[in-house]
Amino acid sequence: MDLLDNYKKAWKNQPEEACKRSTVEIYKLAQSKSSSIVKWIFIIGILEFVILNSLHFFIDMDEAYAEYEKLGLINFIFYSQIVAYIILFYFLVMFYLNYKRISATDSTSNLMKKIIKTRKTVRNYVLFNLGYMVLVIIVATIASIQTNLEDLSNKKILFIVFATLIATLLILGILCLFYQLLYGFLLKKLNRNYKELAKLDSKD
Amino acid sequence: MQKDLETKFLLDFETNQNIAHKICRIYTTNRDAHNDLFQEITIQVWKNYPKFRGDSKFSTWMYRVALNTAISLYRKSTRTIKTQDFSDVAFKIKTTPYDDTEEIQLKALYGAIHKLNDIDKALIFLYLEDKPYKEISETLGITNVNARVKMNRAKEKLKNILNP
Repeated sequence: MDLLDNYKKAWKNQPEEACKRSTVEIYKLAQSKSSSIVKWIFIIGILEFVILNSLHFFIDMDEAYAEYEKLGLINFIFYSQIVAYIILFYFLVMFYLNYKRISATDSTSNLMKKIIKTRKTVRNYVLFNLGYMVLVIIVATIASIQTNLEDLSNKKILFIVFATLIATLLILGILCLFYQLLYGFLLKKLNRNYKELAKLDSKD
Repeated sequence: MQKDLETKFLLDFETNQNIAHKICRIYTTNRDAHNDLFQEITIQVWKNYPKFRGDSKFSTWMYRVALNTAISLYRKSTRTIKTQDFSDVAFKIKTTPYDDTEEIQLKALYGAIHKLNDIDKALIFLYLEDKPYKEISETLGITNVNARVKMNRAKEKLKNILNP
């Protein structure tokens, strides 16, 4: 007889749970607030959309626009922002649809896939935003060099390019680090379990 | 309509609550965590209950929702405590006098299962509950062949822990 057969017998004969819940207790439990990872992903995802889109409240936009005007970038900023809002809308819809598709009645692997996909939508949106930020910085730097070309020595141009590069990398680095921490904290367990389940699909 | 559904759910869940308790015992190692996970399972089963069509047995459906909650939805890591004090399991189970050897075996079994990863826990649990491979592969969302391969590996791991 297999070693596990004995244990299986013991498992089958195990007594029922000592503190069984009554229907009243079950009713109360069922009505309580969920603290599932999906709920957290939804809340944090929405927060990210809101925070990223309210950043301009902290910046004096009149001053920024005046500066863009001076650099001849006002059209670029205007049209790129329209595109950015269309893309924001697309990401919001995708986020909502993916979130809605998450269901505990799915198979384990499908459920995990859908949770990870929902989270990835927000991550991609953040990446898009960072990319857009970098694009604006690059365009603004080039434009300001071009505008002031006569007054600038080669040394000064080199310095501006170098300083912008360092500042951009620093901001990106900090944001990425923060994001990795948040992302890792939220999905550590899920990613580990998903890898465990997927490992075998690729192996066999 | 809602009242009918609620009554049906309460009845179904109350009769089958042992499934959830066993899963909690496997995935948690103390009473607080057990209650916490049990609560989340109750919420998830109720939330999804309108989707339960009755084309399968309620218990079969509940295995899936409860396991999904433990593996993917429950926020806290279930692997933080790796070793299990036998007395921890004992207090969760009614202390009715019964066969000593089986009690010792059961404690050892729970202790060993706690050392497995989340997916292996699910596989071993479904094996102990005598679920057919078709149901196991459908619940986990892997092919039948993969379920068998994975199950054999999980059983080997369990045996090695039980009988090093």
